[in-house]
Amino acid sequence: MAYKKPVQKFTGKIREVTLGENLKLGGESVLPFYSFDGDTGHKPALGMEIWDVYPESWPATIVNELGDKARKPAEWAKYVEEKYSPDFICLRLVGANQDAGDKSPEECALVAKEVAEAVNLPLVIAGCDSNEKNGKIFTKVAEALPEKNIAFLSAVEGNYKEVGAAVGLAYGNIVVAESSVDLNLAKQLNILLMQLGVKPEKMLMNPGCSAVGYGFEYVVTTLDRIRLAALDQNDTTLQMPIIMPVSFETWKVKESVATEDDVPEWGNQEERGIAVEISTAVGVLVAGANAVILRHPRSLQVLREFINCLI
Amino acid sequence: MARFLTIGERIHVISPVIRKALQERDPEPIIARAREQIEAGAHYLDVNIGPAEKDGEELMPWVVKLLQSEFPNTPLCLDTANTKAIEAGLKVYDPKPGKAIINSADAGSRIGMLEVAAEYGAMVIGLCAKEGIPRDNEERIAYCTEILDKAIAVGLNPEDILFDPLFVVVKGMQEKQQEVLDAVRQISEMGLKTTGGLSNVSNGCPKEIRGLIEAVFCSMAIQCGLSSAIINPLNKLLMDVIKTAEVIKGWNLYCDSYLDL
Repeated sequence: MAYKKPVQKFTGKIREVTLGENLKLGGESVLPFYSFDGDTGHKPALGMEIWDVYPESWPATIVNELGDKARKPAEWAKYVEEKYSPDFICLRLVGANQDAGDKSPEECALVAKEVAEAVNLPLVIAGCDSNEKNGKIFTKVAEALPEKNIAFLSAVEGNYKEVGAAVGLAYGNIVVAESSVDLNLAKQLNILLMQLGVKPEKMLMNPGCSAVGYGFEYVVTTLDRIRLAALDQNDTTLQMPIIMPVSFETWKVKESVATEDDVPEWGNQEERGIAVEISTAVGVLVAGANAVILRHPRSLQVLREFINCLI
Repeated sequence: MARFLTIGERIHVISPVIRKALQERDPEPIIARAREQIEAGAHYLDVNIGPAEKDGEELMPWVVKLLQSEFPNTPLCLDTANTKAIEAGLKVYDPKPGKAIINSADAGSRIGMLEVAAEYGAMVIGLCAKEGIPRDNEERIAYCTEILDKAIAVGLNPEDILFDPLFVVVKGMQEKQQEVLDAVRQISEMGLKTTGGLSNVSNGCPKEIRGLIEAVFCSMAIQCGLSSAIINPLNKLLMDVIKTAEVIKGWNLYCDSYLDL
């Protein structure tokens, strides 16, 4: 008898969510990259991070390459779009942090608007370290850029009403529901946002990210279980595409931060940072992430090749 | 693991309102009963038109079309012993929301319903009985196997059969309850799907405790592997118990609002 390859069929399917004008995320009805089982949906999207303030702590080659553009977010964004053409750009409003300038929500909205006007790529807006302030920042930014399918990172348990109402309901953008590596809470937050009236096609999720070596196994099993619930149990409350800000986590761990002088046996600092970023991104992509945010151009290049080789 | 399937039982000729509406082809009471069951969370609606010997072939298509035009996303379970009426209903049934279920075939005079199901691409409830209530589980499993053999012979996928071990009334057949649960377990262990009419269990009991009896029996049966049931979805306690059992079984991911869904 001829061998018949077994196929794992699921009843569920990840929703298709459009970032910007036409960057489609999700759509798969199989586990990540399981093209032998069925439809893998849209290719995972790769975004590049930029800041609204000078990125002093970033790797030297990036800062040197950017030069003066690193002080002008709109020019920075345009440069990234032209030089590296990622799938989207993530503007992170670090300058809203108290110790980095304490920018007002209005100032943040101005920067975001400039960046949005400078580029054609879809935009993701990430806030500062304060969830409370992010509620106010996102309201202003979403108001300045309504109905543009900009994703806002993130709505959390503490501010989901404010963020959901402004970003999702009033100004028709995309809400990213963020939980801290807790799959029950991930589901609960999605439900709360939907009960608020946010449409699932205007939602993404970030179920919590960490760098490899920092509780990463738990990040991966959480992603796994969310995807299995969405596909195998056809759980419609978990069928949103997943976006993960990988670079936010990987460039702050000691493997990326320690200088070569401090730990000579670890070798070149920038190479280490890239390695942590790439391994983390690959890990979350194969566990179910539909989009990742990266910092280093080399990481972008490697990840792109990785995805193209598998799909 | 797939979720527990609920089949709403409230469109039934035994109800005077429904009987009259079916006789007079009056859509309103039927639509109202369908709506309240769908809103309460029923996945399928059972449509019991009785034996309908005179006009079944005309009545079943009428009610199928009526419900499908009003509720295009809700699949139906066609319930009558009248084979011609079932066929007439299946001819007009739109399978887009899900395959129709025939209620029911058995190992006796109604075994031909398996062929009807195969012919029309429908699912079917396989009553593990021949004449009356099976005496014991030996009989139940024998009938189950007979149905399975026949189904395979006529080209019906075993996945499309919901085996009903025949739930029995607690008030009068109390000593048989554990046996029925064990039948659910045995059939489930054969990798087959199961169902049963929960109101059979509480029949004749005071109204205020029927819901409780059905809910408890259902949760015990789910633990034995029961994969669906014919129920009154307006019994909120039962619906909440089913949702909770699904969480405990690991069929649905827990979250604080799981009862709201």
